[in-house]
Amino acid sequence: MEKLYIKTDDWQGFIKEKIKEKIIYAPFEENNLLFYQIVDEKNIEKIVYNRIRTVEPFKIFLFPFKERILPEINQLNNVIVMGVTSCDLKGLEILDKVFMEGEFKDPNYKKRKENLFVISFDCNEPYDSCFCWLVGVNPYPEKNFDLNLSLIEDGFIVEIGSQKGKEFIGDDRRFYNVNESQLKKMKEKREKVIEKVKEKNREFDFNKIENLKGLVEKEYWQKIKDIDNCVSCGSCNFNCPTCVCFLLEDISENGNFKKVKVYDACQFPGYARMASGATPRPTLYDRYANRILCKYWYMIENFKITGCTGCGRCISGCIGKIDKRKVITELLREKVNV
Amino acid sequence: MFKMDRNIYQPVKCEVIDNIKESPNINTIVLKPEREFSFLAGQFASLTVPGIGEAPFTPSSSPFDKEKLEFTVMKTGRVTEKIHQLKKGDIVGVRGPYGKPYPLEEFKDKEILLVGGGVGLAPIRALFLALVETYKDYKKIVFCCGAKTPADYIYKDKLFGEWQNLCEKIPLSFRITVDRKDENWKYMEGVVTCTLDGLDIDVKNGVSVVCGPPIMMKFTTLKLLEIGFSENSIYLSMERKMYCGVGHCRHCLIGDLFVCKDGPVFKYSEIKDKPNIWV
Repeated sequence: MEKLYIKTDDWQGFIKEKIKEKIIYAPFEENNLLFYQIVDEKNIEKIVYNRIRTVEPFKIFLFPFKERILPEINQLNNVIVMGVTSCDLKGLEILDKVFMEGEFKDPNYKKRKENLFVISFDCNEPYDSCFCWLVGVNPYPEKNFDLNLSLIEDGFIVEIGSQKGKEFIGDDRRFYNVNESQLKKMKEKREKVIEKVKEKNREFDFNKIENLKGLVEKEYWQKIKDIDNCVSCGSCNFNCPTCVCFLLEDISENGNFKKVKVYDACQFPGYARMASGATPRPTLYDRYANRILCKYWYMIENFKITGCTGCGRCISGCIGKIDKRKVITELLREKVNV
Repeated sequence: MFKMDRNIYQPVKCEVIDNIKESPNINTIVLKPEREFSFLAGQFASLTVPGIGEAPFTPSSSPFDKEKLEFTVMKTGRVTEKIHQLKKGDIVGVRGPYGKPYPLEEFKDKEILLVGGGVGLAPIRALFLALVETYKDYKKIVFCCGAKTPADYIYKDKLFGEWQNLCEKIPLSFRITVDRKDENWKYMEGVVTCTLDGLDIDVKNGVSVVCGPPIMMKFTTLKLLEIGFSENSIYLSMERKMYCGVGHCRHCLIGDLFVCKDGPVFKYSEIKDKPNIWV
């Protein structure tokens, strides 16, 4: 893919022009964490380019917490999202399979996607909870973006990922052809970040992750003491880039059928409970196992892709301080020993 | 089926033309769809009570009946309670059909055993009516039914009347039981698995179809295996919480299988190694 170079100041100027006509979201710092906010002339200098993923998963731009799906939404704004990370872009592949590529198409998803322009960033400072490398994802985007920015010293290498991306830049003279030494810097930096992610995950072993397939016996799960700390809050579900579960609410009125789609979480005790009160997953272990097996078994069967992208939000957002990596490492160890 | 540009959640408007009380807690609602709604036996549909909610049901009417659509519904929760209160002229919505039908092609020239318990007779009724329509394709049909008490039986008029009269004309027989009989009961007493004792059926060239509450499905399956049915000749009609019906919302997963898309009917062999199959 074509790569260009632009100085940081020039990029800021370039974006300043774009916000006049487009809605642009970018990561901003708040309490030492990053959150998406709309870019305006006042905050543009504060966009964070040199850190890591946002707290909210990028999926909210395509699959919002609550949206009307019947009748479908006709007016959708064009939105540009900056600062999307590699893990979130990987998650997009699952969302596409579910909502756009199967026999049945979600009424809004494809339109939202067509109206979305993605400017992704390389990761620079991984969190302790980051583990993309463990699940085969690199901490820099390789596809699914329109433009990707790799920060090197006083500027960015801009990789063009789509026709839309090419048109976005047009023939703007602030973008130069990239040179060898800049590419070398990018490569070195990326390798350094991989090393950082590896370092943070030294104690975890995902080598035999495929052994999770078929791990249905409750005894294995009951041995993992950390699971007892789950409070069924659903934070891991809502913040996951690949969790797609939702429920439907009927708001029909005056003879017109109307429905909204709202996030649901398989960690909620009521998630699979039927009207009779019966549920296939009555215990915490059943529900915790469901989430893990969904990511590392069911989604692979359903979509031929692992349902985990290593973003670590299920770890950093866990009230019970459960580290999924530790749970999986212990489970795999148990399975080998039995 | 849906055209590409049609919203997958758009129901077909249906007018309620009757609401029949079958048993103390089960009603059959009869609907007239605004436009034709076709389905095959085993497929299900999502029924919307406007402003209240939506729930999945397998139609209990014959797939050959193009005029009306029937659902037999047990009062269990919020939506089903409203369904029981529906009156003639009320409007509801139906979307679907979803899921895979019973593979009638695979049933050809075989002996077919139907086992239904309680409200589980509803989906089996649609299948039964389809089988009767094409009875020449099958060697014989044995219909085993169970309910808690005689009063809990649904389709009483048909089951104790015209359906049994069919036995004289086509290779069909019934085995009928209740958990607890009353003084007028002339059939068997005991849970539905007792109808499988001494059954005259060729298990090597037979298929069995089971629908009922989870506990009944579990013990019926075990019994069927015991009397010699193979794991892939037992067809189970699985039930899970469901919203979308189209494989998006993931509520109905049994392991990696979607009840809505891969089911709702599964061969026992397909699901036996999945987690928590019996609710």
